[in-house]
Amino acid sequence: MFGDRMLRQETLKPKSVGATLSRFSRYFRPFWLALTLAAVLMAVNAYTQVIGPVLIGQAVDCFLAPAAFGEEGAGLQLPANTDLQAETDSQANCWYAPEVAMGDPGRNDLLRGLLNITLVITAYYVLGSVTGGLMFFSMSWTGHNVLRRLRVRLFNHLHRLSLGFYTRNETGDLMSRITNDSDTIQQVVSFALVQVLSSVLLILWIVWQMVVMNWVYALISLSVVPLMGLATLWFSNQARKAFRVTRQSIGDVNAELEEGISGVREVQAFSREETNIEQFRQSNAVNRDANIKAVAYTSALAPTLEALGFLGIAIVVGVGGVLLLRGQTLAGSAISLGLIVTFLGFAQRFNMPISQISVMWTNIQSAIAGVERIFELIDEVPEVQEKINAQPMPPIEGNVSLENVEAEYVPGEPVLKGINLSAQPGETVAIVGPTGAGKTTIINLLPRFWDVTGGSVRIDGVDVRDVQLHSLREQIGIVLQDTYLFSSSVMDNIRFSRSDASDEEVIAAAKLAQAHDFIERLPEGYETVLGERGAGLSQGQRQLLAIARAALADPRILILDEATSSVDTRTEQRIQAALNDLLRGRTSFVIAHRLSTIRSADQVLVLKDGEIIERGTHEGLLARQGFYYELYMNQFRRQEDLPVQPNGSGPPAAVGVPASPAT
Amino acid sequence: MNQRRPFGSPGAGGPGGPGGRPEGGGSMKDLGRSMRYLGRYRVTTTLAYASLFISIAAQLVVPQLVQNVLDAVTDSVFVRQILALPESEQAAALEQLPVSVDQLTERAASAEGPIYWAMVFIVVFSLARGLFAFAQAFLAQKVSQDLAFDFRNDLFEKIQRLSFSYHDRNRTGQLMIRATDDVEKLRMFIGQGMLLAVQSIVLLIGSLAVLAFTNLSLTLIILPVLPVALILFMVFGSVAQSLFGEIQRRLSTLNEILQENLAGIRVVKAFVREREEQDRFDNAAQQLMDQHIRVSKIFSFLFPFIFLISNLGQAAVVYFGGRQILFDTLTLGEWQKFSLYLIYVFFPVGQLGFIVAQMSQASASAKRIFEILDAENEVTDKPGAQPMSQVHGRVRFSDVTFRYFNSTDPVLQDVSFEAQPGETVALLGGTGSGKTTIINLIPRFYDVSEGHVLLDDWDVRDVTLDSMRRQIGIVLQETNLFTGTIRDNIAFGRPNATDAEVEAAATAAAAHDFIVSFPDGYQTAVGERGTTLSGGQKQRVAIARALLTDPRILILDDSTSSVDVATEVLIQNALDRLMVGRTSFVIAQRISTVVNADKILVLDRGRIVDRGTHEELMRTSAIYTDIYHSQLVEDAAVEEKAPLVAKA
Repeated sequence: MFGDRMLRQETLKPKSVGATLSRFSRYFRPFWLALTLAAVLMAVNAYTQVIGPVLIGQAVDCFLAPAAFGEEGAGLQLPANTDLQAETDSQANCWYAPEVAMGDPGRNDLLRGLLNITLVITAYYVLGSVTGGLMFFSMSWTGHNVLRRLRVRLFNHLHRLSLGFYTRNETGDLMSRITNDSDTIQQVVSFALVQVLSSVLLILWIVWQMVVMNWVYALISLSVVPLMGLATLWFSNQARKAFRVTRQSIGDVNAELEEGISGVREVQAFSREETNIEQFRQSNAVNRDANIKAVAYTSALAPTLEALGFLGIAIVVGVGGVLLLRGQTLAGSAISLGLIVTFLGFAQRFNMPISQISVMWTNIQSAIAGVERIFELIDEVPEVQEKINAQPMPPIEGNVSLENVEAEYVPGEPVLKGINLSAQPGETVAIVGPTGAGKTTIINLLPRFWDVTGGSVRIDGVDVRDVQLHSLREQIGIVLQDTYLFSSSVMDNIRFSRSDASDEEVIAAAKLAQAHDFIERLPEGYETVLGERGAGLSQGQRQLLAIARAALADPRILILDEATSSVDTRTEQRIQAALNDLLRGRTSFVIAHRLSTIRSADQVLVLKDGEIIERGTHEGLLARQGFYYELYMNQFRRQEDLPVQPNGSGPPAAVGVPASPAT
Repeated sequence: MNQRRPFGSPGAGGPGGPGGRPEGGGSMKDLGRSMRYLGRYRVTTTLAYASLFISIAAQLVVPQLVQNVLDAVTDSVFVRQILALPESEQAAALEQLPVSVDQLTERAASAEGPIYWAMVFIVVFSLARGLFAFAQAFLAQKVSQDLAFDFRNDLFEKIQRLSFSYHDRNRTGQLMIRATDDVEKLRMFIGQGMLLAVQSIVLLIGSLAVLAFTNLSLTLIILPVLPVALILFMVFGSVAQSLFGEIQRRLSTLNEILQENLAGIRVVKAFVREREEQDRFDNAAQQLMDQHIRVSKIFSFLFPFIFLISNLGQAAVVYFGGRQILFDTLTLGEWQKFSLYLIYVFFPVGQLGFIVAQMSQASASAKRIFEILDAENEVTDKPGAQPMSQVHGRVRFSDVTFRYFNSTDPVLQDVSFEAQPGETVALLGGTGSGKTTIINLIPRFYDVSEGHVLLDDWDVRDVTLDSMRRQIGIVLQETNLFTGTIRDNIAFGRPNATDAEVEAAATAAAAHDFIVSFPDGYQTAVGERGTTLSGGQKQRVAIARALLTDPRILILDDSTSSVDVATEVLIQNALDRLMVGRTSFVIAQRISTVVNADKILVLDRGRIVDRGTHEELMRTSAIYTDIYHSQLVEDAAVEEKAPLVAKA
């Protein structure tokens, strides 16, 4: 059952096992004590498992065999020193009952000896359980600690990576890679590793013990083991291949299920139920058939191993029995009844570890590959790095200048070419232009999310690359188009920008952002927990929260990416008013989509293909009848009709001249 | 404020979900009911169980054969010892045994025969065992896959037909879990768990019987250990459940932080929150680790302990069995057999413990599955429903009142109106005013609580859903596209439409140009939920989709969201073309829509508060003028002449 699940996993072959392992082992270093302990425990545990059958064999040879041979005699006492005694002798040194070793034991002596050896066996069983438990615990304790270190290390590193990395890698991809990899590593470090290591140790020890006791008999007894290994390998490889198909087909089934459920309204509206049901039935059938094929292999593995195990038992008792009967010696020593019993015990212990190793081995491989990929992420060099002697940014006045700025995400493909601009403290700079013109890149340069490839970005005359990132970004506020909200309370979401802000300050910021009213109306006000990604709030409300967030940070420089999505007129008016409050007195850069913003800007930069092709004020640019004029005609003119004052009076047609934005 | 929900979902009303998924609460009744599904695979099931019995029988024989070998060995060694005795002592020994020297010689010579035979039998029986064990496992798996197939089909079919009110109350994710996880759990139990349970019980009883026959007193010594082991396993099974649940919870907290930080990396960086977020993550990682270690602790204690109990059983056999050998009430072979069978006793005990845990899970899953399968479909064809013939397109609401499921407050109250064929009816009103409800009642996505909805003169409840809905087209703002090609999506309501028809519809919907600009044209694959298309493109595909069915009655939402002006113009024009000649109901966002509408219905809290044409309402209705000014938008227009520039 368990093996099934393990086999379902994708095996990923690691590339450079050695290097990865030696690097991974460094994560284990702080836990050397626990590891050493685990190793010692593992050895003791294996010893107890090996000694069990040996002791039982000795019990047979020392105490039971004499009686057993005499059993049909019902009390018949054979003379002790017949020359046949040698035949039943073994290597057993019956020290558990000294009198026995000296020969001619009475039944009570035998019983006492038997009791002694049983107590010794019991003691070993207890020792085995205790060491087994402790070993398992110390290994998995270490494993979980290592994994936690790895996780935290990776997470912290992800924060250091610059935006370039995040534009190259999709969040969803990263997420599934990281979670899948840590899942596999998790399973291995907490479970599979200790299992495989102790299984390997046990098998080696058993083989060693058997060889020591009688190497020829050992080889004969172990003859089925290679077969077991081969069978396991073959079946699990086949199963893994087959499960690959099932994974794909269950993906299809789930996708159809998901679509069928989430699109059920369309399905019914267009009367598509029958077609969909038939389609689903088909992919469902493909999945079923793939599964049945795969389980044919997994169902065969256990019975095959078991049959081979029985075959092994047959060989042990059969060969041993015949040899004992014939009184033949193997490798120079006689086969005793006790030896047969011991080997029988060993043969039974072989099945489990072999199948465990083979199933888990592939998991270990996947885990190593996972570790490798996580290291790849950790090795990703952040493009934006603080200089070693970076100074804290002094309090910002608000003077911003870009001098001959060049920037590119992909080498050789410039996104910005020779940008020059300068903004005085308190000025609002509106940036307009078609998609892909480089608007976002400009605003990414100010908080140094990205570095210029040429020229410089200076704030109050200081190159942003010369100061500590932390101190720079703290003084810059950002309101992004797609407001990112975290699944925590509204209060925490606003407080995100300044974790030490008091509740009063948060509420004041929300009031400034015109968000207070709607927040109060939420079921639990400021303590309302927002769903994933702020679900439950409208687009407009989310923007208001983002504005509140920025207001709380009270930055000297404000960056604003205006939302393009349509919100209704009333919300729009609120957002405008809130933004006007927020912009006042700060140097602001706005990627503008609203006419009112552009109108009130101190300068408008028109960006096209990475260059500023026009600059000036709204009126001035319109008068020039250039690219901005075109853009305005296509994109912004329509907004002239919107009543901008709250509760605009009269139909738009009658308004004629748009009201100027509330200031 | 004006944020519209996807159509169909109620404005308010808590979706409690079909039970808050309390764990464990399932009854054996549901489990029993799901077993009836096995009836479809009677032959396979029977074969699986038959294989099970044969394989157990074969399994039970092997230790007996081992005993035979050992007994043969000890016997012949004993015999040869006697034969080797000096004459006098031999005679004395023979006297005690009722055998002659010849017989003994015979026995000594023939001792190897039984050993060879036993070996041959062991091989034969282990082959049989392997073969039938495979047959049992494979057939059980096969049946379980068949069952999962059936359950999933039934669930999907039911879900596809369940009415909107059901879907309002249940989230996609929840239904998904039932059709995947719950089906899987139930499959595991009915297909495998049950078989394993039977196997365990048979093996347990069989082994105990053999043990008791071999040596009753020794069996009695072992017996008390069994219940202890069983209880331990069962305790563990139930404890593990909640422990692992907690691990899952903490893991998802951790992953959520990761997810949020990846997706919101710009915000995190912008507000210099790295330190706090790292602390948060660190803390969550610590929490997860603590829980893992807690589980490890229990594992580390329980498993070795259970193992120990079974080992102690073996130790007891060593001593008490050995003692019996010494007192000649047990042979060495029997003794070995005993310890082999003992493994067969402890193994099923462990298995049973886990199956019990699995069973309570499975019955909870069965309950959740049947909750869906048993859900009452509120909107279904009534017995004797007629197929609806081609309608002209008259739509009449007479005194319609509507309440959502389990709610006492009506969402619509005494709504009456009539639309003549070809007319355009604009619906206006704030959120929760009932606009969406009206459009949902026309194709009978819900049934009215009181009153009638009539198409031509048919009550929508008297005709078959299929025939009625085929005559109604729907275009909404939130467009759901399905995996497949663009062509498939346009032909969604008419899969057998010709290519020419599809292209004509796409052209009318202003979609043809962008579609042919793709390398694969109409064969372009649309990703999950239409991810490869932009919002405006999806909307146009949806319009083409509605156009292709050539409905007499059209329901649409004329707003456009997050598209550029040029696209907006295209979409609006396509919508206007779509409405021509059809009875149309529009949730109006544009001024031009209401101006051109034949009828405007102004809704407020479930009632029609004003109605008329634009001109009439501008004169008479204060509510209308307010909505007109605060909520409606002008059409997008790309004009070359710009009268407003002069003023700038």
